[in-house]
Amino acid sequence: MGLKLRIDRIPRQKIPGSGIIYIPSGKYLKMATFGFSSLMADLVFIWAIQYFGNVDIPNRLDSFVHVFSIISELDPRYVDPYEVGALISLYDAKNIPLALRILDMGLAKNPDMWIFPLEAGHYAQIYKRDFPLAKEYYKKAMEIPGAPDIAKRLYANASFKAWDIKTAWETWLEVYDTAKEERLRKIASNNLYNIKATVDIRGLRSALEKHRAKYGRYPDRLSDIVRAGLLPYIPQDYDNKDYIYDPKTGEVKTAVIPWKR
Amino acid sequence: MTIKTIALNTFKEAIRDRILYLLFFFAALAMIVSRILALLTVGDRAKIIKDVGLASVSLFGTLMAILIGTGLVYKEIEKRTIFTLISKPMRRYEFLLGKFFGLVLTLFVILLLMSIIFLALVFAYTSAIDWRLLLAVLFVFVELILITAVAILFSSFSTPILSSLFALCFTLIGHFSWSLETLIKKIPAGALKVLAQVAYTILPDLENFNYKTEVVHGLAIPAQTLLYSAAYGILYTVFILMLAVLVFRRRDFI
Repeated sequence: MGLKLRIDRIPRQKIPGSGIIYIPSGKYLKMATFGFSSLMADLVFIWAIQYFGNVDIPNRLDSFVHVFSIISELDPRYVDPYEVGALISLYDAKNIPLALRILDMGLAKNPDMWIFPLEAGHYAQIYKRDFPLAKEYYKKAMEIPGAPDIAKRLYANASFKAWDIKTAWETWLEVYDTAKEERLRKIASNNLYNIKATVDIRGLRSALEKHRAKYGRYPDRLSDIVRAGLLPYIPQDYDNKDYIYDPKTGEVKTAVIPWKR
Repeated sequence: MTIKTIALNTFKEAIRDRILYLLFFFAALAMIVSRILALLTVGDRAKIIKDVGLASVSLFGTLMAILIGTGLVYKEIEKRTIFTLISKPMRRYEFLLGKFFGLVLTLFVILLLMSIIFLALVFAYTSAIDWRLLLAVLFVFVELILITAVAILFSSFSTPILSSLFALCFTLIGHFSWSLETLIKKIPAGALKVLAQVAYTILPDLENFNYKTEVVHGLAIPAQTLLYSAAYGILYTVFILMLAVLVFRRRDFI
């Protein structure tokens, strides 16, 4: 016992996690589990949490994809590793593409689970600000049976942010028509108002700038743009009300804030 | 009647075996430790408890089947009590089948106790009884019946140590044979491929009884799959027992 305690006091250089880095892919490790692959996945995941949670280990995230792909092969239906892996990629590694890659792995192994594309869409939209990518992910999520209704609303919202106005409009209209709650109808209505207002105001501003370029000033009234032949008609908002126009600054805005209608 | 008598006697003998209680103790300990292990994970802790519980039932059940099964016939030969038995109006196959059913009954009782502890642990954590877990345990039992037959086959002509080793190898091969299927796809057409296919067909595939992952994840298992697996287990067991009877019939105990 004394010898053992003595040996323990001798510092030995170790490469943390070196054992697992040299383990081949999960596909071959699965063969070596002899029917206990699910348990092995649990143990590797528990180990991974302790390992990647230890900020003192240098370059600990180098083997990140390798470890999580091992867990994925051992137990493809184990949801927590994909979600936790994506969280670690995002908040620890500050690597959004890696987080998306982990979630893509989860979706590839579990095409019936909407949670992966929904989370990926969330990361793409909030952290990467890649709205076309977020839109694609939300679309995948909403097409999976059992996906929550919010996936469609998120898809509509991402479409709008990606400036796919037609898709955003049609989707919000669908949400409005199929909504079972008044609250959801209100949300859809507000978004339809917002989309129309954004498109209308863009068109009006463009025409106003053309007027200024042509005549050296903004028109006194919006109807002057029509008389000048710059627009066929002056659009109204979703509630058939006129937009508010300031001839001094050329600013056009809605009569009400869309979210407070 | 003879088979029943031997079976009950074997049961009474096996239930007093110290190995049984040692393995049972470690199985129960592993299940209890899983509660602590679950604290280390993030997310679904119940999954850890279920996985460790099912793995304990499977692993320790297998060890019980092998360690007790391989000694059943050999002990009678070593103590020379076999002479007394075969001199009675009893056929050799009755003796063998009696031993087999006796151990199967023992394993059933032990598995039942382990399942009760397991379900109690899951209930303590989740406040719900997941009856589907018993489906996985049932097929672990089918697997153990087959392993018991194999242990008795080897013990009918070999020493306990070698029999244990052979039975263990059988179990490992049984859980490894599914990978042969992957290998067969990669082998070009020829004699080697045919040989691999024959080996794959003959070798046991114990993964057919492994429903642990499906049960833990709450996945649907077609009834047809369950029926075929059970039929496979029973038929393979009958085949192994027939082999054991053939070997034992010709065995000379002097």
